[in-house]
Amino acid sequence: MTDQTVLRICLILGAFATAGYVLRRVRQARVQIEDTIYWLALSAVLLLVALFPGIAYWVSGLLGFVSPINCVYLIIIFLLLARQFMLSIRVSQLDSRLRVLTERVALNQQKQEDHDRDDKMDL
Amino acid sequence: MQKLLIVIPAHNEEASIVPVVRDLIENYPQYDYVVVNDGSRDKTAALCRQNGFHLIDLPVNLGLAGAFQTGLRYAAEHDYDCAMQMDADGQHKPEYIAEMLAALEEGSDIVIGSRFLTVKKPKTLRMVGSYIISWSIRLTTGRAICDPTSGMRMFNRAMVQEFAENLNYGPEPDTISYLIKNGAKVKEVQVKMGERTAGQSYLTLWRSVQYMVKMSVSILLIQWFRKRDTETPYPERSL
Repeated sequence: MTDQTVLRICLILGAFATAGYVLRRVRQARVQIEDTIYWLALSAVLLLVALFPGIAYWVSGLLGFVSPINCVYLIIIFLLLARQFMLSIRVSQLDSRLRVLTERVALNQQKQEDHDRDDKMDL
Repeated sequence: MQKLLIVIPAHNEEASIVPVVRDLIENYPQYDYVVVNDGSRDKTAALCRQNGFHLIDLPVNLGLAGAFQTGLRYAAEHDYDCAMQMDADGQHKPEYIAEMLAALEEGSDIVIGSRFLTVKKPKTLRMVGSYIISWSIRLTTGRAICDPTSGMRMFNRAMVQEFAENLNYGPEPDTISYLIKNGAKVKEVQVKMGERTAGQSYLTLWRSVQYMVKMSVSILLIQWFRKRDTETPYPERSL
């Protein structure tokens, strides 16, 4: 019983710390709002499970887990994996955009240099 | 009269961009416009060049917020008094611009071309999102915005500057609610909108649901925590 209370307190603290940190970044205009929604939703879920452990018992019963704690861990791992997957897709997109942008800047610069050289020849 | 810039963000709008801009040039030469091509994969940019339209061509796709912000930066750098967003698909009718401009000159910061100011909002599935957003804004600001999802919005000089320089200033209802909360004057003007003349709507069902969740969470929760800082421009430089 006692270790479950500790876990619940940890979940509550974790939920508030996550939400607090994310909202502080929003306040400082250092993060885009669409990127905060996942973390706010995650802290809401953690808080919900901590306050109403019945949910964890119900879900673990449904999925056939012996211990509800295992179920909570599994769900958290799944959510983190999903996030990881979405992030790696996003990094890949950013990568290709960066490549396109770098190429465009270099091509523009080259065009500019050619242009400058032509101007000098005319003089 | 105030110098107005019409910003036309265009993403894959090859079928409608030419008639929309032609209409502006021929019938409303008193307004300036600029097309912002948002990394289209079709002939949007080529058609604009061929017709000699004013064009800003983004080399990669940034999404509506980025394309619109580019237009507003252009407006701020070229000393326009106000700017407005107009869709490239022909939904927004330029005949209402004069009325919106008049409302702006009366001292509003933002003027929204609203479909449902004097007309009753239909109770259809498509409007569920609009109802939820209206209700969220009403709840958090106490102000009634009848058509929060209308893209036809006009901004005065101070707003143009603020939108051009800051992060989290997308042309969306959550920014409107945030600005109302911070004392901006927002007015609606009744307009009629056309149906899309061509092309495909960006909003599929899944995208609409995502958009709704984002807007609701943003308006109901996140906007309370934002701090308005108009002193230090371009905070993305410090990201």
